[in-house]
Amino acid sequence: MSSKRTRMVEKSNNKRQRVDLVSEFSINDHHDVLVEILRRLDGPSLCSAACVCRLWSAVARNDSIWEELCFRQVSPRPSLSIRSIVSALGGYRRLYFLCIRPVLERLPKIIWSRDQLQLSLSLYCVHYYERLYVGAWLGDAPPSSLMFLRKPVNVV
Amino acid sequence: MKRGHGETWDPQPQSQPPSGSCEGPSMVDKMADDSNMDELLEVLGYKVRSSEMAEVAQKLEQLEMVLSNDDVGSNVLNDTVHYNPSDLSNWVETMLSELNNPESSDLDPTRISEYGLSAIPGLSAFPKAEEGADEEASSKRIRLESVGSWGDPAVDSTRPRPVVVVDSQETGVRLVHALVACAEAIQQQDLNLADALVKSVGTLAASQAGAMGKVATYFSQGLARRIYTSDLLSGGSHVGPSFEEALQMHFYESCPYLKFAHFTANQAILEAVTTARRVHVIDLGLNQGMQWPALMQALAVRPGGPPSFRLTGVGPPQTESSDSLQELGWKLAQFAQAIGVEFEFKGLAAESLSDLEPEMFQTRPESETLVVNSVFELHRLLNRSGSIEKVLTTVKAVKPSIVTMVEQEANHNGVVFLDRFNEALHYYSSLFDSLEDSYGLPSQDRVMSEVYLGRQIVNVVAAEGTDRVERHETLAQWKVRMGSVGFDPVPLGSSAFKQASMLLSVFAGGDGYRVEENDGCLMLGWQTRPLITTSAWKLAGA
Repeated sequence: MSSKRTRMVEKSNNKRQRVDLVSEFSINDHHDVLVEILRRLDGPSLCSAACVCRLWSAVARNDSIWEELCFRQVSPRPSLSIRSIVSALGGYRRLYFLCIRPVLERLPKIIWSRDQLQLSLSLYCVHYYERLYVGAWLGDAPPSSLMFLRKPVNVV
Repeated sequence: MKRGHGETWDPQPQSQPPSGSCEGPSMVDKMADDSNMDELLEVLGYKVRSSEMAEVAQKLEQLEMVLSNDDVGSNVLNDTVHYNPSDLSNWVETMLSELNNPESSDLDPTRISEYGLSAIPGLSAFPKAEEGADEEASSKRIRLESVGSWGDPAVDSTRPRPVVVVDSQETGVRLVHALVACAEAIQQQDLNLADALVKSVGTLAASQAGAMGKVATYFSQGLARRIYTSDLLSGGSHVGPSFEEALQMHFYESCPYLKFAHFTANQAILEAVTTARRVHVIDLGLNQGMQWPALMQALAVRPGGPPSFRLTGVGPPQTESSDSLQELGWKLAQFAQAIGVEFEFKGLAAESLSDLEPEMFQTRPESETLVVNSVFELHRLLNRSGSIEKVLTTVKAVKPSIVTMVEQEANHNGVVFLDRFNEALHYYSSLFDSLEDSYGLPSQDRVMSEVYLGRQIVNVVAAEGTDRVERHETLAQWKVRMGSVGFDPVPLGSSAFKQASMLLSVFAGGDGYRVEENDGCLMLGWQTRPLITTSAWKLAGA
């Protein structure tokens, strides 16, 4: 919501015209800017930001923010072809919570090169495949090879 | 064998249940770690400073002399509470001082007080420890002829009852000894002795907590089966293949061995097909196909786009009602479509791999790069002579660019039963130890993994002939075999090593896992013992 204040202005032809004063800038009007800012945050800050209000929570679900977070430390930068695959497997946000964040917690000084990234993606694939295809077959409990990584966090 | 920190100490069930003032010592309250504790005794749970060993040994001798004297003095052992017998020197001190200075005549257990209570001798739960540093030293039992009531204060106290107390901290060692003794008896065809021993093993195993107890239970089942069934060929309960696959799935989830196998094999395959436009993988044991989603994804992100991926999976014969191979192919196809990889699947059902002929794979050598993959499948073929050679010849005939192989790193195929038994005991003890340390797992996974491994144990121990399929061999043996058929080793690169290291370092309970590179092959082990090996091969001269 922006508040607009106007005032009456005398124009040269003696007609009055309403002119907008410089309206107060509200970030909530400019989602793209908000996304740009959130992209630069680190994990905990981003999660805090996502708790601010419903709008921010919705904006924070923008996957490009999480993509940035996942790959910030990876060098060389992974190719764009990864993007479609990660989206197909459930998106970067889920990738971050399931595979990247637990690894960072266990190994804070890890150097993210191609191999480490490949391992995370492999685990992500396994998780996706298990969730969709193996669960029903095994019975009650949905299997998760990633249980060893995850703490019980509700990731939707 | 690694001792669990959380193991509490349970007295042997045969003993009279001690109660009252004796506290069972628990391993949980360890003393502050003093680095000059004797290591061998520490394994058994006793903390003795190396410098004090001679003193402690002397005091223990004194104690034994006093206790073995069948006089009232030994019964004056009192109602003071003895804590922490693992602190051996202090404990012995207090025992001796009690004995030398009986506190008061009130403690005469033959005297029944006005309330019908009598003193409870305190030694019931505290056997002597072994003197000296010899882990193999014979365990000592304490027989106490006691005049006095034991747990139940209301009981008339004049009946002497002999009590045999055995320290279960040493039952771990005794368990191993009993198992080996039983196997030796079987080796020498002394089935009566073996029969007697296997029963005692069963009891000991049941009272032993932790990984050792579980391993021992499975081994004793195998031994019992071997002793009691005249027909040695029926060395394993037959369950359907889908149950086997379910068990392996649980094993996949609860520990990193299979994941390690898949990821390292995948990396070897990736490095071999970097320039291929069409890739055909033949999987000699498809199971649930858990290996392939990750490979497909890795192919999909390859610079230049993914190749087309064709998978031929070999599985057990299908029943009429379900065609699990086709269903599996469908699931993998859906996955491939989701990530944008062109996919083709063919399922081959075969009772045994030696039934396969090169034509069945329908390879297209002019357009595709062929890969053959086998995870824990090849050792099964060693049960019939000629099988493995036939299969390896078939594999050669389809001209693969690379053959990836994952096998257990152990020699469970020796001719002598006793050697196999000992080797298997060490191997599976390590394996169960590693399962034990994984915390935070759903227990169903771990229990089923233990069942999965238990079936292997029973097969190694009890089966013979064609029924014994768990014929594991070491890397050295496989190298000889592969070399003689005409394969050259392909070293696995550092990428595989790095991925494996990262996998293990984030795995819960990952402190004990070790990845080693051994002459181009990668071995995953627990503590110092390698357990599985991934290796890659190509046609000689290719």
